[in-house]
Amino acid sequence: MSDPTRLRDYGLQSERLLWPTKGPSRFEEELGVEELEQALGITTLEKAVRWAQTKSMWPDTFGLACCAIEMMSIVGSRYDLARFGMEAFRSSPRQADLLIVSGRVAHKMAAPLRQIYDQMLEPKWVIAMGACASSGGMFNNYAILQGVDRIVPVDIYIPFCPPRPEALMEGIIRLHEAHLAGIPPAYERKQVAT
Amino acid sequence: MSTTLRHVGRTRRWPVVGDAIYDGSRIPARVPTVLDVPPHLRDTDDVLTVNFGPNHPSTHGVLRLIVDLDGEEVVGLSAVVGYLHTGFEKNMEQKTWWKAITYPERIDYVGYQNNELVFVLAIEKLLDIEVPEKATWTRMLLCELNRIHSHLVFLGTSALELGAISMFWYCFRERENILDLFELVAGQRMHTRYFQAGGLAEDIPIGFFPEARKFVENMPSSLDDYLTLLDRNKIWLERTQGVGLLSSDDAIALGQTGPVLRASGVDWDLRRDQPYLAYEQVDFRVPVYTGGDVYDRYRVRMDEMAESVKIARQCVDRLERMEGEPWIADDRKVVLPPREELHTSMESLIHHFKIVTEGYRVPAGEVYVAIESPRGESGCYVVSDGGPRPWRVHFRAPSFAALQATATCSQNTLIADLIAIVGSLDAVMGDTDR
Amino acid sequence: MSDFSKMPGYVSTKEEHGEATVVVDRAHVRDACAYARDELGFNVLMDVVATDYLGWAGKGVSGYIGTASGRDLNAPMTQGLQALPDVKPARFSVSYHLLALRQGAPRLRLQTWLEDGDPVDSVVPVWPAADWFEREQFDLMGIRFHGHPNLARLLMDDDWEGHPLRKDYPIGGEPVRFSPAE
Repeated sequence: MSDPTRLRDYGLQSERLLWPTKGPSRFEEELGVEELEQALGITTLEKAVRWAQTKSMWPDTFGLACCAIEMMSIVGSRYDLARFGMEAFRSSPRQADLLIVSGRVAHKMAAPLRQIYDQMLEPKWVIAMGACASSGGMFNNYAILQGVDRIVPVDIYIPFCPPRPEALMEGIIRLHEAHLAGIPPAYERKQVAT
Repeated sequence: MSTTLRHVGRTRRWPVVGDAIYDGSRIPARVPTVLDVPPHLRDTDDVLTVNFGPNHPSTHGVLRLIVDLDGEEVVGLSAVVGYLHTGFEKNMEQKTWWKAITYPERIDYVGYQNNELVFVLAIEKLLDIEVPEKATWTRMLLCELNRIHSHLVFLGTSALELGAISMFWYCFRERENILDLFELVAGQRMHTRYFQAGGLAEDIPIGFFPEARKFVENMPSSLDDYLTLLDRNKIWLERTQGVGLLSSDDAIALGQTGPVLRASGVDWDLRRDQPYLAYEQVDFRVPVYTGGDVYDRYRVRMDEMAESVKIARQCVDRLERMEGEPWIADDRKVVLPPREELHTSMESLIHHFKIVTEGYRVPAGEVYVAIESPRGESGCYVVSDGGPRPWRVHFRAPSFAALQATATCSQNTLIADLIAIVGSLDAVMGDTDR
Repeated sequence: MSDFSKMPGYVSTKEEHGEATVVVDRAHVRDACAYARDELGFNVLMDVVATDYLGWAGKGVSGYIGTASGRDLNAPMTQGLQALPDVKPARFSVSYHLLALRQGAPRLRLQTWLEDGDPVDSVVPVWPAADWFEREQFDLMGIRFHGHPNLARLLMDDDWEGHPLRKDYPIGGEPVRFSPAE
């Protein structure tokens, strides 16, 4: 099924609900059906909601280790996260949309991590920041979870140890773009750990 | 200057097994790291147990505190650590000495150069290798910059927790300048891995000294900014003065070092009393305060930042005159030969091959090296069996010892003060759990 | 260096790399620590470290043992005969790193040797700082400290089995594929 882009594909026709066989209006014929939506700034409800979610995706304070220090520095004034509306790091996972797992996750911490993830309300996204969260990093041993995607579904993986703040910003921006394009969060796409 | 301490001469016969540790001690006697709910409160319904879980709004990483509250007052406390246990020590046993140097930086991830320094110093002590002067002074410069960095993170996050939210942005603005310097010299902002057994990995690049000089010229005015913001602020003073008291005897008995010890009145700093690197050649003052409360620990760290800027300026002055000197020792059994030599010399090729594949061998023995990291005495105990890999590496973590004082400091305090106390002990959980 | 021979349970002294290591008998550890604190003035306990020497002086330390200044000409090339480090008295050593807060920062390492399962007296009554240090060594190495007020696991999970830092405990983790052929 092709991606529905036009209002009529969603069935959003006002008078046509009562008059199913009515063709395009005079206005639509003059402007062109396709350009009408762009010219007037009409959009679908889904797109509008996605735009709003992107512009204020509040992260949860889940700083674990070294990557947390770099995550704190994107809140700083040089790499300003407030321009994306994300400087409000929520302490309560019930108010947070985004879980940036920044740092190595020990097995002892895995249970609290999953609990925090479960307490977040849909829609929710997870960014695995750094090598340790993505894959266990340089710690291939008894104590560290080899990749946080073993217990939570991850949307974006950011490599390096620790990633520069710009790298984290790129990850966040890609997440925003992916969400704007309509890609659903990871818990709908992946079969693991939902 | 000799450090005459009144407490050392006073040797008491402490009871070997008893109820009180010694007279005047505030250490909870039964288990020093646990504050027990007093017996008269245990049977009432008034005591509420609250879990400051591993994920909490304060920015100290994954520390878990199980707090018993009677109203707002803390009557019971126990800290649970281990949520960031990484198994550094076991991992380092599997890697060669060269590769193992990458690991210690991640232990205390705020004062990372110091951890690397202590491990590299331990290897060099076992190897009995002589480090060139340029490397020593550069190491000192980077460690002092790291001390400023660590204290800035402490100040920003502690102030943030106590509600002085703007301090966070001021401190991180200066912190970005320091990280720029690290990136200039070593290529990476954090976890630079710039120290090598025998010296530095690379020479100091061109353009570093003007930037470093600019930093040391501008930093004192920023420190004045912070003092202006906080030091005469009534709210800050009320929240930090008289809170979290730790006497000097208790601090010594609990193995405290660093700013916590100096704020309790004990004049002890390893940079002056057991000089390593080139600290006996630089001029600096050691701040000591006698109050033993959160305010004094904050003042000690503020003063230390100013002293570190002084030391950094002296290092930059000295290093600018050392242009063109060697930055790593000349021993080919340990240090990689320069790449140009690989084309012409057979021995260099063989050395390069042996060092990269098998690793250099460190003679058998055991050493314990201690330095003054921003959190206190950071030590590294290395046991070598003469082979290419360490046999046992153990890091003495100052944050681990600092957290043991939580129960002692938190008696008769309110829960809001507990946040201030844990912040002032400046415990980094990577350092605690290793 | 002061004379350590009057320490209770004294066995031997070794000085190497500028550090003094005093070996004491396992049964007198607490008295030796109290002696060090009261008579010798080492009033701060820096660290308690346990080391596992299982497999020490086995193969792996063979061939050319070099020093920083080059090949040691006095020792013959091993030619397949392994030059081994000295044999250790027992499997585990527990080292107490002490510091005296006075001029010159004298340090001392008190060491005791024990086999698997042997208990050591806890020094928490001597220095309360030993609480978590000993708990950590119990957790990671399995050394039992007799008389410790709260000997429980500290860094690992409460129900973890085994003592990870021992030499017979595997490193864990997962096998990493470095090429499609594996």
